[in-house]
Amino acid sequence: MPIEWRMAWRNVWRNPRRTGLTIAAAVFAVVLVIFSVALAAGSHEKMIEDSVRVNAGHIQVTGRDYLEKRTLEQYVSWSSDIESALGDTEGVEGVAPRVVSFGLLSRGPATRGVAVLGVDPVREGSVTTLLSRVQEGAFLSPRGSHEIVLGERLARILSAGIGDEVLLYSIAYSLETAYDLFRVVGIVKLPHVDMDRSLSLVSLADAQAFFVYGDRVSEVAIRTADSDAVPAVMASLGRSLDGEDVEIHAWWDTMPELEQFIVLDDAGMYILLAILVIVVGFGILNTILMAVLERKRELGVMLALGLRPWSIFRIVYLESLLLAVVGLSIGLALGLPLVLWFEANPILLAGESAEAMALFGFEPQLTWRLEPLNPIGSIVTILIVAAAAALYPALRASRARPADALRSV
Amino acid sequence: MLVLRLAWRNAWRSPRRTGIVVTAVAVGIAGTLLSMAVNFGMLFQMVDTAISTDLGHLQLHAAGFDADPGLEVRLRDGGRASLAVLETSPDVRSFARRVRGEGLLSSPRSRAGVRVVGVEPEREAEITLVARSVTAGRYLDGEPRRVLIGEALAERLEVGVGDKVVLSAQNLEGDLTGEALRVAGLFRTPSQPLDRGTVFLTLEQSQRLLGLGEAVSEVVVVAESRARIADVDALLEQRLPDLEVRTWEELEPLLVYMVDVFDQSALLVYAAIFIAMAFGIANVLLMTVFERTREIGIMRAMGLGRARLVATIVSESLIVTLGGVALGFLCALLGVWALRDGIDLSLFTDGLRELGVGDRIVPVLRQSDFTAPLAVAVTTAVLASAWPAWRAVRQRPADAVRHT
Repeated sequence: MPIEWRMAWRNVWRNPRRTGLTIAAAVFAVVLVIFSVALAAGSHEKMIEDSVRVNAGHIQVTGRDYLEKRTLEQYVSWSSDIESALGDTEGVEGVAPRVVSFGLLSRGPATRGVAVLGVDPVREGSVTTLLSRVQEGAFLSPRGSHEIVLGERLARILSAGIGDEVLLYSIAYSLETAYDLFRVVGIVKLPHVDMDRSLSLVSLADAQAFFVYGDRVSEVAIRTADSDAVPAVMASLGRSLDGEDVEIHAWWDTMPELEQFIVLDDAGMYILLAILVIVVGFGILNTILMAVLERKRELGVMLALGLRPWSIFRIVYLESLLLAVVGLSIGLALGLPLVLWFEANPILLAGESAEAMALFGFEPQLTWRLEPLNPIGSIVTILIVAAAAALYPALRASRARPADALRSV
Repeated sequence: MLVLRLAWRNAWRSPRRTGIVVTAVAVGIAGTLLSMAVNFGMLFQMVDTAISTDLGHLQLHAAGFDADPGLEVRLRDGGRASLAVLETSPDVRSFARRVRGEGLLSSPRSRAGVRVVGVEPEREAEITLVARSVTAGRYLDGEPRRVLIGEALAERLEVGVGDKVVLSAQNLEGDLTGEALRVAGLFRTPSQPLDRGTVFLTLEQSQRLLGLGEAVSEVVVVAESRARIADVDALLEQRLPDLEVRTWEELEPLLVYMVDVFDQSALLVYAAIFIAMAFGIANVLLMTVFERTREIGIMRAMGLGRARLVATIVSESLIVTLGGVALGFLCALLGVWALRDGIDLSLFTDGLRELGVGDRIVPVLRQSDFTAPLAVAVTTAVLASAWPAWRAVRQRPADAVRHT
């Protein structure tokens, strides 16, 4: 081991108490950073998965301007060409074409404005969890016609039970009025209160007939393995749909509010973690500075004996980095198993916070997810902070004039 | 007094070392307070948007509206009973009656599902900012068969000011009705859902369309100030027992819950940052205690009691910490002052409009935002001085005096 390393290591442990406290602060910061970053990553991933599996899908193929306007004028012509192009694209795990519109749904005197979603009873399940959300009755049958499935609250508001008939009124693609009777076959429970109060599902074929829509669909929802796969699948979709008059949107385009929430949430967290790390950096600065000032005379002797200022600088610098490395090692040794344990054992929330998450339409669960970037980022950050903190003490130490330093006690 | 003087002098014995701790505390406090201020600024803007585009401070409905806001749940007397109470209450600034329904709006090119809101144009202008948010054409000004729609909705339907649209709906009897209207004007508010899917008519027009006769759906009330909402709430609850009286907090529980969550997480953040600081504070105190071993021994030998010695060290800790806290508060206040015109968020603004946040966030600090960091700081200062104080007290004066 080179002499400088040995000297730095010994200096670090010259005052074990002081060093111990500083290392403890660094350990605390490392564990907290790893823990919060993993919690944010896990929660956000869960929010995304919950949201895409309820309705949106990871990716949507739509007509031009659909996201801005969302009317029947923006459509995709659903052909076997597109269907096979989508199905053959690598990474596509589910494809669900839909007609999305709205209408007034009434039973007896009660009327409500509803979202009308025309779905393929078979393929819808490959993208969303709508099928498994049926509370009463059954989902739309593959061959049935004039069947409708209602959100739980909507059914209650209309006092509609299984087998009851409801009247759907709307305005068709042709701009003529459209109305028809549908029979309630199932009731689904949706996590979002607004959706539960306003969603009605009919079969794709019925919706196309009702809205005089031909073979058009409003959107094609696509499921990928997970949200990490989205960019790659979007790229291959871009290739396989080349030449078609469509737009391809990821979940962050179809649900901008979710993406913005995640960006803001992350920004807030990183700012606070940065403050935490800076505070720990000041602790390191103080410790190294004290160590340097205590050794004024010693450093003076070393300079007088002919040691280059650059070597002194390096010794002091190494002290700080050694402190950081010890803190990092202990922090990682504690933090990683902790996060891995929580990753395997998500926490279910109860009470008020659970209700609030339900209001947002999320499952009340805290989940952690350890991404490789998390510990790497922590290591780099702490090392940079330690390096920055050592700069001033190291400069001071290397610039001391031997004559003055020797005279001081 | 002696204790405080000793503590003060000791704190500045090594100005550089103390300075670094004070700076660390100040950076931690100022940074945290500022980011909280931005968070709360955003949240309060969401609350303001909700109140000023739709909710008002309170709303009165017929019983059952909360569970199921349907057309048939209506104030049959046109809200007359409540108007009498509202007109005489000194805490009420303004109020207006509304009709709420759902309908389909179609243009020659497209169609959309819309929420239909019938308003008293002049009164409504005192409640919400829709009247002031008209970007083209005019607000509802008494001309018959006019409708006010959002810019975003106009874009969806490909219509402009003066164009004809047809609004159809199901009336109270369950019959389909429709009415041809002209677009009076377009509006743009901080609330995306309002801009995309709400249309405003005059109260009479909406009552006719929906077959309500004289009935209205709600009376929306704005109190003289937010502090007076509770008084108005109590008065209305007492005088109008048959009606559902709801404050904006009850109408939008999510916003209230978010404020709560932010407050709680602020406390956690302070705790985390101060734990990290505690190590630094303890370190400095420990150093000063060791440096002064001989001095402390002499003072003890001369009759300084253990309690006063501990008090000196705890005070030193408090002086350093509170110095940092004060500096941190000052920086945070300066920061909020410097950002009083708001932070431009146009980068995010489309997504945030979905949440009801405008283009600029003005950071907000409330008085109560200062109490949490202060309390955590004092606790930390006392806890961090425990070990150094114990070390100082444990030394035997005889040994300590001999120490060089």
